[in-house]
Amino acid sequence: MDFKNRFDVINRESEFVNLGNPICLIIPEYVNKKIMEKGSKKQKEQAWKNLILTEQLRGRRSVTGLMSSMFSVSNKLDRTIFDAENTENLPGTLVRHEGEKAKGGKTVSEAYDYSGSTYNFYKDVFKRNSIDTRGMKLDSTVHYGEDYNNAFWNGTQMVYGDGDGEIFQRFTKSIDVIGHELTHGVTQYEAALEYDGQAGALNESFSDVFGSLVKQYALKQKADKADWLIGAGLFTNKIKGIALRSMKKPGSAYDDPTIGKDPQPGHMKNYVDTTSDNGGVHINSGIPNRAFYLAAIELGGYAWEKAGEIWYIALTERLRERSNFQTAANSTHEVAGTLYDKSSHEQNAVKKAWDQVGIKIKAVK
Amino acid sequence: MRIKVERSGGFTGIPISNEMDTRDLPSTLLSTAKKIIEEKKASSLSSKSAPKGAADHYSYKISIQDGAEQSVIECNQYNISDDLKSLIKYVEKNFDRTHRINRSK
Repeated sequence: MDFKNRFDVINRESEFVNLGNPICLIIPEYVNKKIMEKGSKKQKEQAWKNLILTEQLRGRRSVTGLMSSMFSVSNKLDRTIFDAENTENLPGTLVRHEGEKAKGGKTVSEAYDYSGSTYNFYKDVFKRNSIDTRGMKLDSTVHYGEDYNNAFWNGTQMVYGDGDGEIFQRFTKSIDVIGHELTHGVTQYEAALEYDGQAGALNESFSDVFGSLVKQYALKQKADKADWLIGAGLFTNKIKGIALRSMKKPGSAYDDPTIGKDPQPGHMKNYVDTTSDNGGVHINSGIPNRAFYLAAIELGGYAWEKAGEIWYIALTERLRERSNFQTAANSTHEVAGTLYDKSSHEQNAVKKAWDQVGIKIKAVK
Repeated sequence: MRIKVERSGGFTGIPISNEMDTRDLPSTLLSTAKKIIEEKKASSLSSKSAPKGAADHYSYKISIQDGAEQSVIECNQYNISDDLKSLIKYVEKNFDRTHRINRSK
């Protein structure tokens, strides 16, 4: 099958809609949404009915949110970069608007270019219109704080520190960091995973998964050629480490006298119970991260095409605020079965991947 | 008295703990520290309340040890007062003892 555009599935499914076939009820919600965006008038009407029905059945999300997305005005990339000038005031001074030529230096350019790469990744691969599906503007602030060793998403924008020059360099340096932060925005508008415990670790994991895929997509790398690292190149040469996290081998990214050893587990038997870091959201994310890596490697090719799509649909159509690792495993397994048939190579690969990190799939209704 | 500031979270997930003697604090910050002791039971701060969807922010745990008495307050970058922020920054810069916490098993 040609996976250049896996969302061609929409065209296939929409034939059922044209026939007015009752099978429409099993059309996944995301397909209905796509038809509403791209389909003919008749297709849109049918998809709309299906959506209302499934929304009512599941009793979640306001349909009005979807309604307004139909009339979304913006379908263009719209970036703005601000400079906090080493204060902690947000958003800071405007430096560069969408379409303006490069100015403000390397850090501004990286924030601008890599947020564009992330936007294009979501648009090309998943037909997603920005963070909120409605063309949300992408605002970033650079040069935040003094010697600031962090990057974060505050619910409305991205923020990047310059690093202290001792442990870290500037946080805009790695494209996957920017993909990671923007994906927190995507999660906010989709599964809205609570930032605590296993739900929080899943929230972190989805950001690492799609952050890594943004990088792989930009480099046109196949799964077996990718480094599967998060934050490669952020450490100064004084630190013994290659990156902040390794999805391939959690726990192996750094081991240094100053900052300690990468604490990530890659299996449930090493799950870390802690109250710090919102219940270890940046620690236990190693487990679902590795499950994704294993599925992607088993499926081969470009990781965003199969594994990435399965995870994306789970994030946007299956998971909820308090979902845990088990729910994520069950959901990705179920999605793989819907897209590729039950007991397909794809579905088995997902099952095996979770199995290898210590999570057995349980059938979902 | 000893004051300890433990920071966790952030994109890097690398925690750090800094501490110092309260007699080395400037007087304004010392009064902030004392207020923490007094209000420890009335504290409504939490390390968990953050804006909707926010991620990768810093969480803090501030402890003051006075003999056998320990007062602890938890907060994050979104709900700290300016006073507390100044205190945290001071301890993070002028600590007499620092260590990273290795949390792996």
